[in-house]
Amino acid sequence: MRLLSFLLVAVLASAADPKVTFNRDVRPILSDKCFHCHGADAKSKGISLRLDVEASARQAVAAGKLITRISTDKKGQQMPPPYSGLSLTAKEKETLTAWVAQGGEWQPHWSFVPPQAPAGPASIDHFVRARLAKEGLDLRPEATKETLARRVSIDLTGLPPTPQETAAFVKDSSPKAYEKLVDRLLASPRYGERMAARWLDAARYADTNGYQYDGERVMWRWRDYVLESFNKNKRFDQFALEQLAGDMLPNATFEQRLATGFNRNHRGNTEDGIVPEEYAVEYVIDRVETTGAVFLGLTLGCARCHNHKYDPLTQKEFYQLYSYFNNVPELGRSMKYGNSPPLMPAPTAAQQLTLAALDAKIVAQEKWFAARAPQIDAARRAWETNLPNQSWAPLSMRNAEFFVAEPPQSFDGSKVIADDKAGKFDIDDLWSVSAWVDGAGAVLTRMAGDRTEGRGYGLHVKDGKVFFHITSNWADDGLRLESVKTLAPGRRHHVAVTYTGSRMAEGVQLYIDGELAETKTLLDTLYRPFRNAGGVFKEPLRLGGGAGKAQQFKGTLDDIRLYSRVLTAEEVAMLAVGQPLAALATKKRTKPEQRQVELQYLETAAAPEIRDAWQALSALREEREKLERTFPTVMVMAESAKRKPTHLLLRGQYDKPGELVEPGLPAFLPQLPATDRLGFAKWVIDPANPLLARVTMNRFWQSYFGTAIVKTTEDFGLQGEWPSHPELLDWLATEFVRSGWDTKAMQKLIVMSAAYRQSSQATPELIQRDPENRLISRGPRVRMPAEMIRDSALASAGLLHEQLGGPSVKPYQPNGLWKEVIMQDFDYDQAKGPDLYRRSLYTFWKRTSAPPMMMNFDASQREACTVRENRTNTPLQALNLMNDVTFVEAARFIGQRMMQEGGACAESRLSHGFRLVLGRLPKPAELTILRNSLNYHLDYFADKPADAKSLLWQGDTRSADLPERELAAYQAVASLLLNTDEFVTKD
Amino acid sequence: MQRRQFLAALTALLAQNGNAAPTLHHAPKAKRVITLFQHGGPSQLDLFDYKPNLAKVNGEELPESIRMGQRLTGMTAYQAKFPTAASIFKFSQHGQSGAWFSELLPHMAKHADQWTIMKSLSTEQINHDPAVTFFQTGFQLAGRPSIGSWISYGLGSENQDLPAFIVMISQGRGNSQALADRMWGSGFIPTNHQGVKFRGGKDPVLYLSNPEGYSRAARRHFLDDLGQLNQLKLDEYQDPEIATRIAQYEMAFRMQASVPELADFSKEPESTFELYGPESRKPGTFAANCILARRLAERGVRFIQLFHRGWDQHGSLPKQIRWQCEDTDQPSAALITDLKQRGLLDDTVVLWGGEFGRTVYSQGTLTATDYGRDHHPRCFTMLAAGGGFKPGTSYGETDDYSYNVAKDPMDVHDLHATLMHNLGVDHTKLTFKFQGRHYRLTDVHGRVIRPLLG
Repeated sequence: MRLLSFLLVAVLASAADPKVTFNRDVRPILSDKCFHCHGADAKSKGISLRLDVEASARQAVAAGKLITRISTDKKGQQMPPPYSGLSLTAKEKETLTAWVAQGGEWQPHWSFVPPQAPAGPASIDHFVRARLAKEGLDLRPEATKETLARRVSIDLTGLPPTPQETAAFVKDSSPKAYEKLVDRLLASPRYGERMAARWLDAARYADTNGYQYDGERVMWRWRDYVLESFNKNKRFDQFALEQLAGDMLPNATFEQRLATGFNRNHRGNTEDGIVPEEYAVEYVIDRVETTGAVFLGLTLGCARCHNHKYDPLTQKEFYQLYSYFNNVPELGRSMKYGNSPPLMPAPTAAQQLTLAALDAKIVAQEKWFAARAPQIDAARRAWETNLPNQSWAPLSMRNAEFFVAEPPQSFDGSKVIADDKAGKFDIDDLWSVSAWVDGAGAVLTRMAGDRTEGRGYGLHVKDGKVFFHITSNWADDGLRLESVKTLAPGRRHHVAVTYTGSRMAEGVQLYIDGELAETKTLLDTLYRPFRNAGGVFKEPLRLGGGAGKAQQFKGTLDDIRLYSRVLTAEEVAMLAVGQPLAALATKKRTKPEQRQVELQYLETAAAPEIRDAWQALSALREEREKLERTFPTVMVMAESAKRKPTHLLLRGQYDKPGELVEPGLPAFLPQLPATDRLGFAKWVIDPANPLLARVTMNRFWQSYFGTAIVKTTEDFGLQGEWPSHPELLDWLATEFVRSGWDTKAMQKLIVMSAAYRQSSQATPELIQRDPENRLISRGPRVRMPAEMIRDSALASAGLLHEQLGGPSVKPYQPNGLWKEVIMQDFDYDQAKGPDLYRRSLYTFWKRTSAPPMMMNFDASQREACTVRENRTNTPLQALNLMNDVTFVEAARFIGQRMMQEGGACAESRLSHGFRLVLGRLPKPAELTILRNSLNYHLDYFADKPADAKSLLWQGDTRSADLPERELAAYQAVASLLLNTDEFVTKD
Repeated sequence: MQRRQFLAALTALLAQNGNAAPTLHHAPKAKRVITLFQHGGPSQLDLFDYKPNLAKVNGEELPESIRMGQRLTGMTAYQAKFPTAASIFKFSQHGQSGAWFSELLPHMAKHADQWTIMKSLSTEQINHDPAVTFFQTGFQLAGRPSIGSWISYGLGSENQDLPAFIVMISQGRGNSQALADRMWGSGFIPTNHQGVKFRGGKDPVLYLSNPEGYSRAARRHFLDDLGQLNQLKLDEYQDPEIATRIAQYEMAFRMQASVPELADFSKEPESTFELYGPESRKPGTFAANCILARRLAERGVRFIQLFHRGWDQHGSLPKQIRWQCEDTDQPSAALITDLKQRGLLDDTVVLWGGEFGRTVYSQGTLTATDYGRDHHPRCFTMLAAGGGFKPGTSYGETDDYSYNVAKDPMDVHDLHATLMHNLGVDHTKLTFKFQGRHYRLTDVHGRVIRPLLG
């Protein structure tokens, strides 16, 4: 590494003019060796000299001090001081001396100044060629058409081209052939999936909450938003804006709110005994750090505990940025399973269509009734004088899960009725309970071990008030509330509670005598379900007790009902009518009484066609409610009505608040009014902001060339690396803005360039001179990211199941990996059928036990934001490709395709396989090796039919009925192809 | 491979795999480390930190002068009472050094004169995940390289057939908490330095075995063909990455032999199993992993880390800690004996301990035979042996309640710094630049605790 970076520096600097450029040559030295003390944080160390500020640095230069101090050997004089552990190399001293000698010209840090489009000619090739010309080099010739087809398909869709696609491109001799290919790839839905993969790394997307418990969460609707946005070619500035603050846009659309899941993808801690405030701080800091790295290319987190040592960002400014993200109504302790509020229902496109269709039907049916209302009303009035003498509820409410039949039951404080079947609700279910009560004590409960203050739920009359709780741990893990008003003693009341499964007090509604009652929240921190750690909560439902002897009910209870849905206010009101229908016949009715009579008529007494129509409408409404309950949710951003105060945190500690700070932007960047998160987001995307376009184009560049123009994709600050092609990056940034932030156009711009299209073949000399290809002295040759390796193998095998979006899936994974590390008593439940073969983008990502193949090939762990691509070359990767059932099975299907599609002779079959896997035809020498390998394996399996069978039986999907010895041999050759360097590499 | 290509491969290996060229800052005492990590937080009060006076105040409220309003976990913060719970286990002194051990650890006690007992450790974290993360990476939030990755990065491997950093997990019988792969991850340094998990059973390393029906001979032939294909590509493209890949496939092939050989105990004499105890015959147990650890040490693996789960005794501590000690005491002691016999203890550090200690006050009800203890970061005990640690030493003291450190405090960073010192590494000099900053395991902290050095 050291050796190489040395070579690289040599390469990048060798052609440099004798003139020293401050930004390129001097600032990196000052930053790395001097700013730690003489930088933005100098004041806190009692140091007055600052070398990051022009005026102060000029004085030091003018006084000759700078050179004296770096040249001397005198103890106490030498800079950097020996105790700092830092020292200047001879070359660095030389550069500084030359800089001073040439007049010590100062430049502001390049990336903090808005990019300017160059006046002269400009194109990718212009800038790349200009840089190469300084080395006496030029671009290499264009790669072969086969290579190019594979390269650009992999780059734009993450998948190799099919042999047919390559053949069509090779055959097409029109000058537009390549452009047509590029346009077709950009229009493919696979493009959005490919672009989303890197965005998910940056956004630390995962399917679990992380930390110790690492329970499941549901964020895939946000993931699908990302890939749909890329496919729609949403303007990138809008894409950024809505992810940062879509919820705050005027009349925010469903999609704009969904987008804000970006800043809820951080981990959430639910460990027992944590201090929630501590983690609430971590979540906000994660948002600031991620937003900084992704949209600004800044390492803002360095200023959490003290002023930034290198960049001109003060600790106070860090907390000003923090305050933009600190106004979310959230808890520091996250839910143990599922999503933590705030969240929103996020129906899929298909669900939205079904819902719209249902709504249309409902509206039509309602119109049908409205048109006939006068007749129906008249008929009912004629009928309603003679109502049956019974209590009644409409059909939709007769399906209660449980209710105690009349007459009323009396309880004397010793009687408890238990039921093992009813009331199996948990904290994330929707449910309602209701009862007529006259007395005091536990009305109904489902508590662990008949304890007063334990796990479970309960509805009580306590001190005259209605009391309701859902509890996992009495101390700090529950919901508790009581009615403000007391029940009138000595008469019966109807009491009902509905709960939306939100795990928040706001999801609970309490009704007394059919009316919504005001409540007081006593505890509102519920995290864990009753069914803890994968177990089952076995307690029975108990009526009249179950929460300790002292709490047992004294009085009468009647008409106790439990529903596994949320009753509407109207429904509760009808339950609270409390009189037989006959009693309503002639009296002046209240609204619920009237409704009850109407419904009785519609269900039982109206003309048959009206009864049928009513039944149909009720069924539609029920269907709608059921549909809504299947909607996935997604965690999103929201703003608290009352702004939470933000303090600077001393040493970054949650319990050491310092001065109060207001939202604000760092002073070293252009200013706009930005008083809230929306203002901040608008500032991020404003063309005056020098960073967003540069940072984004730089990351795009990285995905094609392996290394970005600014290699430190996460750091455009003073410690960031000097760009290999500064003018090119600035031009790309201005083009991006000029195009209207047209993401697809930018991809096209890059892949159309000759720089991108050149051959990646090198010479030893070129490798020596440009080892990392930073000069773009040849085409990109880069190992594919983890997900593309798996996806390509599945595609070549014809196994890939191309379904866009949807819940995450669980493809092959060795047994027991989860069990080794998790607390729950379950393991990975591997998918069956097509879900084994989805693109890796959809693989379930468990943070504490990430998919092993992905980890072997350097995928980001998704614990925190990652924007730099990382590649190693290890024996574990070799083992993975040779022996993982994913690749063993893919090889079998490639073998099968060779036999079925490759013609009759071995050569043509082998060539077909080669083309399927590597996108080109083999050269004679390669074909000879394949032929030898095939022969070897045919011989090998000839006397080992059982071994052939074993090999062919791995993986879930069976092959066609082919001779086993031959298929096993072709499988072995296919595996050989899947293990080549060429397969895992984009040439 | 031709020499030119070999050199190219080597350069590429260094580049891609980003080793800090082995940089010893001074002569090392130790070449490798074995940590026997007791996950969940073993109770120092019931194992090592003998407090005879507690019997007199058993059941009494923990004095405010001791507790001083310190942070508690949410699990006991709501507790109305904090009754002092003396250990019900008997303690006695052992060896020349007179070190105290409870009756739960009769085997480890026999090495009293070998251990360096650190009683004044403290950590910043009070919950499992952040505390283990802190112990493993020097920082409480995920994302930094683990200690084994740092050592692999800094010192490289001494064995071309095995990874430099190997992790093994065994399940305890007490209350278990979750682990996470990132705890032995490499954070921002290249992923080839991450801990490779060795597992009990057929595939000690993921994907190690050839598919059923495919022999080693066939694999050899396969690799020869593969080498030829890759070589053609290398000739054409000159990309040193290809040469590296050829070399890595060869290493994979060697691992396919070396790892099963390593995990195959059939040639171990009967005396080995007698030494490590009956559980040592069962793959995946702590005892079997201790034997594996010795075998890895013999083969020069740099950093070997065992995790044994189940030490989180909030309730029923006496019952559960007995189980945990039954599982770990004999094998831990056996490993010391075994390494010593083979002359390996001198240059191997063995560390024993967990992420924090446990409270002197009882969590839940205290009875004559039962109590629980909550997490306690303010003091805990760890043991070290071999590899430059001073044998038969006890360092640091806690107060009468084993609640606060009373003398010679040290923290996790100090332990890291001292451990690295023994490996010949100056903890302030082994750095990796990321996000513009030169990161190190000890962050901006850590001192080498000289009295611990032998």
